[in-house]
Amino acid sequence: RHIGPSASPVDRAKDVTMPAKLPVNFFSSGSPVTDFFQGQLDYAERIRQDSEVTFYFFYAPWCGQSITVREEIEQVARRLSDQVLFVAINCWWNQGKCRKQKHFFYFPVIYLYHRRFGPIEYKGPMNAAYIEKFVRRVMTPLLYISSRSKLLEFLSDYEPGVLGYFEFNASPQPPGYLTFFTSALHSLKKDYLGTIHFGVITNQQIAKEIPLTHSGSIYLHRHVNTSLIYPREVMNYTAENICKWALENREAFIHWLRPHGGKSLLLNNELKKGPALLLFIPFNPLAESYPLLDEITKVALEYNRCNKNQATEPAVPHLKETDSSPLESRMPDVHTPLAETFSITKYPCCNTVVLPQWYSISRTHNVCELCVNQTVGVKQSKVNLPQCNFLEIEAALDSFYLKEHTFFQVVSNTIECSNFLSYYSPFSYYTACCRTINRGLMSFISSEKTFFQTPKAAFSSHAKKCKVDTHSIPHIEDRNCLIPGSHIGGTNITGLSCRTNKTLNLYLLDSNLSWIYAERLGASQAIHTKEFAAIVDLQDEAHYIMDQNQALIKSTLGKVFSGAPITGG
Amino acid sequence: KGHHLFQSLLCLTLERVKSMFYHAYNNYLENAFPYDELRPLTCDGQDTWGRYCADLRFSVLTLWILGNVSEFQRVVNVLQEGVDFDIDVNASVFETNIRVVGGLLSAHLLSKRAGVEVEAGWPCSGPLLRMAEEVARKLLPAFWTPTGMPYGTVNLLHGVNPGETPVTCTAGVGTFIVEFATLSHLTGDPVFEDVARKALKALWKNRSEIGLVGNHIDVAAAKWVAQDAGIGAGVDSYFEYLVKGAILLQDEELMSMFLSEKNYTKFDDWYLWVQMYKGTVSMPVFQSLEAYWPGLQSLIGDIDHAMRTFLNYYTVWKQFGGLPEFYNIPQGYTVEKREGYPLRPELIESAMYLYRATRNPTLLELGRDAVESIEKISKVDCGFATIKDLRDHRLDNRMESFFLAETVKYLYLLFDPDNFIHNNGSNFDVVLTPYGECILGAGGYIFNTEAHPIDPAALHCCRKRKEEQDGETQKDSAETTSEDNGGGMNSEKNRKRRIPLLSCSSQPFNSKLAVLGQVFLDNT
Repeated sequence: RHIGPSASPVDRAKDVTMPAKLPVNFFSSGSPVTDFFQGQLDYAERIRQDSEVTFYFFYAPWCGQSITVREEIEQVARRLSDQVLFVAINCWWNQGKCRKQKHFFYFPVIYLYHRRFGPIEYKGPMNAAYIEKFVRRVMTPLLYISSRSKLLEFLSDYEPGVLGYFEFNASPQPPGYLTFFTSALHSLKKDYLGTIHFGVITNQQIAKEIPLTHSGSIYLHRHVNTSLIYPREVMNYTAENICKWALENREAFIHWLRPHGGKSLLLNNELKKGPALLLFIPFNPLAESYPLLDEITKVALEYNRCNKNQATEPAVPHLKETDSSPLESRMPDVHTPLAETFSITKYPCCNTVVLPQWYSISRTHNVCELCVNQTVGVKQSKVNLPQCNFLEIEAALDSFYLKEHTFFQVVSNTIECSNFLSYYSPFSYYTACCRTINRGLMSFISSEKTFFQTPKAAFSSHAKKCKVDTHSIPHIEDRNCLIPGSHIGGTNITGLSCRTNKTLNLYLLDSNLSWIYAERLGASQAIHTKEFAAIVDLQDEAHYIMDQNQALIKSTLGKVFSGAPITGG
Repeated sequence: KGHHLFQSLLCLTLERVKSMFYHAYNNYLENAFPYDELRPLTCDGQDTWGRYCADLRFSVLTLWILGNVSEFQRVVNVLQEGVDFDIDVNASVFETNIRVVGGLLSAHLLSKRAGVEVEAGWPCSGPLLRMAEEVARKLLPAFWTPTGMPYGTVNLLHGVNPGETPVTCTAGVGTFIVEFATLSHLTGDPVFEDVARKALKALWKNRSEIGLVGNHIDVAAAKWVAQDAGIGAGVDSYFEYLVKGAILLQDEELMSMFLSEKNYTKFDDWYLWVQMYKGTVSMPVFQSLEAYWPGLQSLIGDIDHAMRTFLNYYTVWKQFGGLPEFYNIPQGYTVEKREGYPLRPELIESAMYLYRATRNPTLLELGRDAVESIEKISKVDCGFATIKDLRDHRLDNRMESFFLAETVKYLYLLFDPDNFIHNNGSNFDVVLTPYGECILGAGGYIFNTEAHPIDPAALHCCRKRKEEQDGETQKDSAETTSEDNGGGMNSEKNRKRRIPLLSCSSQPFNSKLAVLGQVFLDNT
């Protein structure tokens, strides 16, 4: 390090200093972005007055991030410059107006203005598609719902929707409309990913479908819980309040996680809420439709639909009556009685396992009783069978090997038990009770019984990854083995989130932005479709990944929730 | 595809760093040699070291890391021609050690790999090693104090001046073990390691009841003169050398000394300055020099805290395009008269270490920001100029020698994952020494506080064989007896129970997701 003052020469050249270089153009002259490279904020403010929507890009010429984002901004500006004024301002140069008036802690900073409303700071991902999407939202904060089909489309969106009904026939602008419009802009300030959609209905017939009858009423659509009408009599009718009300009461059964790159506790806070299913999908914010997302939404909705009665109750009763409703197809088949499957049964199914010997000196053996415990069975018929399922015990055994190091410590005569699981299942867990016996007894046992080796084929993924098969395969005692037939193969997951105490929270991540997290969780780089699913359980310090060869579709997702084929990690 | 893009981006930045180095280096040779430093605004040179050709000497190892073997050889030959250290000059004991002794040792150890002709006894003898030893002996009189803690300044010809102040900063006392222990191991003379150790222990013994060391100490009376405790200026490399000394010498005592330092100074991943006896905050300031800390934490495996603190420091960089000497944390702004950024290496150094440990792309981003900043702000026709004031980016007529010796070196190493310095032991050289066969260049280089890498393996090359054999037989017999007595299982258990101070603990589960700015709170 450098502590001592080094000898300073007595020389006039020592005092020579040089002011910072004069700023130069940051954007090229042909760019659709107007570049105030001398920080002329006053001038920028003046030309903003003539524009409906203005985009401000505050940069520092030395800042790496500003330089990287510059190209993205140009791309957006090329597409939207006929409707939006794009202004870049050097907010670093200390002689410039901007630096004198604004005090930024980082660069670049993006502000948006809709006429006089603003600034709305954009804090989302710094790539062209996301930025364009956000600019478009500022341009059109309210979606005009002109027809019934538009309404259905609006309501079927997985993201929360707020609808206002305003009659435009009387005066040029109905009372409260401006407030509602402003609240939509306001929500973009708080919710920079634009997750809440705002729509406006002007047609009385369409409004009745919801039903909204009074002009000025505002409606928050929810899929699982009952939808809400803005309580004007309790809360003042202000833009802030409407926005706050929508944010507080919105339903969020799917969360997008978009880490912004700066220091953040986002994952910490979300993952500490409990086990989380992270779905990585490539997402284009400008796409017309999202078929994969729709599938995921369906599964998530079913998973979260707790109350049977409520579930059957359509979200929009009036629409339900008309048969061709697209909403209908979104409704899960909830008429199958769920109550019957709620019976909680326990049927243990056990096998004895002898741990392989690592220390030849040792004269003892560790013997474990390995059990599969079923807490909840989904299919009634299977629950009645008291015997073990062959595949189940194999799976249990396999995961037992993975965790076997846990049991090596056991060298006492007391029996120690441990619960564990290798794949995420809300229904079952394994128990292993181990104790040490001496070798003499052991050899007796091993000569008595018939042995077989773990069928490696069935669980090859486990074996390969963890090199179980290079160990001496321990012997297992077989008992009552049945033909394969899993009781958890079904995808009936309706309301499952309420029936188990191992509820999964569902999160979406855009693989184009956050693929690094998928890689950290074990996603293969060879896979071309950037789709990946993993369950992360921070508390149990475990994560499970879905076989990447399976496409992320509804049926496989259903299995994920009910705990089917996922590899332990 | 994305991976490919990433690789080419890495290469591109690496080339930029390289051309940055040569812009400064060539300008030094053309305009400043044989002065110590280049003055980038007036395109001339100045002496800051008594015409020691400081820039040339201190940057020689950067040449080597950049792969310029021929220039490295040329410079080493120039340097070998000898400097007269029998001169009537007052020198900083600390600076002379870390820059001159450290630089010579490092060049000595790395010269063979770079194709420099070495003499028969290498690495246990050689001209550069002899020079290092000569300089170090000139420093020894400074250590002849009642406490064993050295004076800050020594006259190279006459020893400690009669009226010399006994007040020295903490780092000035505790920053010798890496160079001096290397010297002792290579030359066989234990005196260097002994004085360095004694000084370190004296400091540690004088820590306050709450476990803190102050900023300046009277080395004769063992009294703290400045009682600010922190991790930055005046203290920094004391902590650094406890850790690096522990790793270099595989010395658990040094490590436990470091670990026993209590952290009363931490607040929200920032480190503040506190009064060493009371623990009350005296200065809520982040110093540019403190940015080495995350890198140091990564060396002991505390990646999690290291990243959290690093990200705090990074926000300061983003605010100014560099790190001001002092940054007031609550005010979020620079401190009066401490607004400069002389292109210091510390934050980049930490990024380099942490990138090795985590591969977190955020660390490359800092590297990219540093390259952009330095090029855009401080590049002038004749080199790179110190930023005098980060508020307006006014430049000073100075290019400190650590820019070439450290800043560029760490930047280069950050972007060059295949550099031999990052060797993980998969390849090595076998050298025949007077004491037998010896393995060198296997990696694990310890950088001294001036970024001169020391090959830790070399420390085992020059020990007398008999001594080593004796040590080994003793160890072996100890192991056999315990096995005989207690049986295999028991000795296994005993070994597990002992906390291995010198090995990193396994990383927490959430560490795999702690990338791109995501941090996790302690699971307590």
